[in-house]
Amino acid sequence: MNYQFDFHFLTGSFGALWDGLKVTLELALVSNLIGLVLGFGLCLMTLSRWFFIRWPAQLFIEFFRCTPALLQIVWFFYCVPMLFNVFIDPVAMGFLALGLNLAAFNSEAYRAGVQAVPREHLDASIALGLRSWQRTFYVVLPQALRSALPVLMTNGIGSLQQSALVAIVAVSDLMYVGKSLATEAYRPLETYTLIALIYFALSLPIAQLVQYIERRQEAAATR
Amino acid sequence: MTIDFSVVFPFWHILLKGLGLTIAITLTCAVLGSLAGFVISLLRNVRNPLIRLPISLYVEFFRGTPLLIQLFWVFFCFPVVFGLTLSPYVSVMLALILYMAAITSETFRGALKSIASEQHDACTALGLTPRVKVLFVIFPQALLRATPPLLSNVVSLFKESALISSVGIADLMFIGQNISNSTARPVEFLTAVAVIYFLVAFPLTRLVGVVESRMLRRYAY
Repeated sequence: MNYQFDFHFLTGSFGALWDGLKVTLELALVSNLIGLVLGFGLCLMTLSRWFFIRWPAQLFIEFFRCTPALLQIVWFFYCVPMLFNVFIDPVAMGFLALGLNLAAFNSEAYRAGVQAVPREHLDASIALGLRSWQRTFYVVLPQALRSALPVLMTNGIGSLQQSALVAIVAVSDLMYVGKSLATEAYRPLETYTLIALIYFALSLPIAQLVQYIERRQEAAATR
Repeated sequence: MTIDFSVVFPFWHILLKGLGLTIAITLTCAVLGSLAGFVISLLRNVRNPLIRLPISLYVEFFRGTPLLIQLFWVFFCFPVVFGLTLSPYVSVMLALILYMAAITSETFRGALKSIASEQHDACTALGLTPRVKVLFVIFPQALLRATPPLLSNVVSLFKESALISSVGIADLMFIGQNISNSTARPVEFLTAVAVIYFLVAFPLTRLVGVVESRMLRRYAY
């Protein structure tokens, strides 16, 4: 390999990269917030007794799980303004697309968690005379959250990575800034390597935390 | 504006062609990536840190960065770093294989862990060579147990393969976006493309459930 690495040209563009990183983090955090809350709501809907509540939620989940995230993002950016005649800020649109995508995946994680709650706990809460919302929030949710936590966190990292896709519809996140820097300076190697390292540095600690939690849960299960 | 899905039908032939390319790339990368993933999962259990650490780093790196940047990296940087000229198809497939291998190696690792240690002991007692042990005892069982998550991995690879449109490969996503731009009817075409992806991916996800409940109960435990 006879390539001269030169990270020099990047020194002038730290501001731009920092701005991009902020947008990426914003996208990841807000979409996670939407995904965590809405995902639980969806999960409750799919477990509902009534067909007319269960069915739309199921359709929503399957549709988001079975189509490419890129397509969902492009769809939101092109079609929502046309269909509903509204104009939404591109970053907010990114929140919406990524958040809804994550909600679909998270609701599956929650569902596995809810189904792992022992039957006896539900019987006990009925015997204790808890109302159904009390049972959901004080008995089911804490336990489901705990067993779903590793998957939810993995999905969260996934959402951070999916957020790079909004670069394709020209939201100026980290990926987009990197892409324009690479084409401006004709130095794709350094720029893309740096961008990849930033994403890696963001997701590695969370991935390690997930492994730690999983190990602890396994240890707790075998005890 | 009025929405009229009948504008999609004159283009069904070319959309189908795009779907064909998407499926061909997905299948090739799924098979090669899974095989590489199995080897990698074995290498991650090797005691020698000179082998284990780089492999672990590779897996963590490909799981920890967006596929989009991996694609760009292979597409733009491999030619510079290694001095090879890769055709666009080869470079996107290389990126997808590297990605799939990293993902499936984790799947296989889970499956390998679930193989009881008695089996390893039995292989030692029977005096099987490591090659025979891996090929005839470990691999079949690991494959069987890993089948449901592997299928899920294939489905997600199928979806992620839409990203190759961003480097100009004429897959389903690329063709759909192109037509929607040139006809100025994004609602119809993007929705149609989404439905096509859904129609392929949804039965596959159902298959995962079937495999899990039928096949595994009968053969694996």
